[in-house]
Amino acid sequence: MRASYFATAVWLGLLCVQASAATLDVPTPYIPSTRMNVDEMLRVGGVTPADIVYDLGSGDGRVVIAAAKDYGARGVGIELDPALVKLSNENARAAGVADRVLFRVGDVLTADIKDATVVTMYLLTSLVARLENRLLNELKPGTRIVAHDYGFEKWKPDREVKISKTYYLYVVPARVAGQWRMEGPQPPLTRGREFVLSIEQQYQHIRGGVTGGGGFLPAFEARLSGERIYFVLAENDVSYRFEGEVRGDVMEGVVRSGYGPKLSEQHWRAQRVKPAP
Amino acid sequence: MIKNTFFRFFSVVTLVLAATTARAQWPYEVPFVPSPQVVVDEMLRLANVTKDDFVMDLGSGDGRILITAARKFGARGIGVDLDENLIAQSDENARTANVADRVQFLRQDLFKTDFSKASVITMYLLPGVNMRLRPSLLALKAGTRIVAHDFDLGDWQPDVKVTIRKNVMLWIVPAKMQGRWRLQLPLPAGAQTWDMDIRQKHQEIDGVVRVAGRPPAGLWQASLRGDRVSFVLVDNTDRESEANMYFAGVVRGDVMEGEFRRGVGNAETRHQWRATWVGAAP
Repeated sequence: MRASYFATAVWLGLLCVQASAATLDVPTPYIPSTRMNVDEMLRVGGVTPADIVYDLGSGDGRVVIAAAKDYGARGVGIELDPALVKLSNENARAAGVADRVLFRVGDVLTADIKDATVVTMYLLTSLVARLENRLLNELKPGTRIVAHDYGFEKWKPDREVKISKTYYLYVVPARVAGQWRMEGPQPPLTRGREFVLSIEQQYQHIRGGVTGGGGFLPAFEARLSGERIYFVLAENDVSYRFEGEVRGDVMEGVVRSGYGPKLSEQHWRAQRVKPAP
Repeated sequence: MIKNTFFRFFSVVTLVLAATTARAQWPYEVPFVPSPQVVVDEMLRLANVTKDDFVMDLGSGDGRILITAARKFGARGIGVDLDENLIAQSDENARTANVADRVQFLRQDLFKTDFSKASVITMYLLPGVNMRLRPSLLALKAGTRIVAHDFDLGDWQPDVKVTIRKNVMLWIVPAKMQGRWRLQLPLPAGAQTWDMDIRQKHQEIDGVVRVAGRPPAGLWQASLRGDRVSFVLVDNTDRESEANMYFAGVVRGDVMEGEFRRGVGNAETRHQWRATWVGAAP
């Protein structure tokens, strides 16, 4: 483990480029510079000035420095090799962003990364696999993770972008599994009934439904992206489109029914009454 | 009411029979099985129907799709069905719903119907009938929306699929893009002409970029939705300032044009682009 993740990643990347040039049927016209990979990772991550970008295995600091310089974000780089951390700090000064970035000597498997709103990484598959659960469990819901070439094993990306190379975007899902007592919308859907929404969850994939008034309504089109949840309940001749945000044990938002000029919007709220088994 | 119940029962039986013997019964025996109202609503919502739309309902049954389009979404349109009784019922339903001035029901053969005027087509037919209609649907103006539930259009994949009680699918008629396009590019290293060879299967496109004196390059993230196209090309003409170029544009016959963004973040610049169709790809 003496060698830095960065050096390993670069070495592996070169190996991979050579291998793919030989096997792809559409010839790759050139070997993309790392600069363009950096650009694309930050773009896929949707970085804005409000973000704190953590680069895991930050090497010479280029991702974090680009996030600060090109997007006005703040950033932190975690790197095992003290010499590369020193180099990163010099590069940040030279780029005029030293006040917005921080480089730490540390192990990506143990470093504190809870502040991140965006995480970027270009690491070996084995290391990515070991980070999978840690990132899922420790990062705030809504945090975007961008991986380059090597993605997680079980956690499927929310988005995949192919431009010479493959980039994977994961949005850390809120934990929504369990049972939720729903309030609103007011009549007709919940009139005089105890309404319980049950959700099963695997990563960002959710399914479930509502029991109340002696019946079960499946939740159609149920989706979760970070803290944002969406599902549709259909009762009789009306469908109710729920959109909301999850904050811990509360979720709330707007439910819409009807269309065009007859669109009706109401507030809804749900409180978790039982966590996932 | 008794008659209605009997009719529904009869329709279901017919559907089961028709599903197994669709070939033999086609084209005149598409059974009438009413679509649930939430499914009808979802079809029209998915097609983003507005008052500016002209909806054609193929196999209009009791008229509920078109009447909903007029009543809830403010659209106008025509329904086509073979069954005279259903046409009469539809007219009556339209009067009751107060939309008789915006919708019209015609007793007519689907295959002799001109639907080039439609901006939205709704249908609930049988697979064999859908497939028979497919060539005329694909020939419609790019951007025309087609919605159906349960039955698909073979290997023409829907652009959007939503499940609310039933599977509801939206197809957007794709522009024709197959062939070679000559692209004019104002790049920092000087104006360039690149050729793009595009392969198309319905709305799925991919391609290769050919630049004189260099190996062919990829056309990335290519996507076509109606007449809207987007793709990414890599500008590596000048190694010192390589960048991705993100294209978005509109296809109109043998011209497509729009804007592209070169680079990302603060380094991003915007430019106009234009490409013309020069023939089949060699």
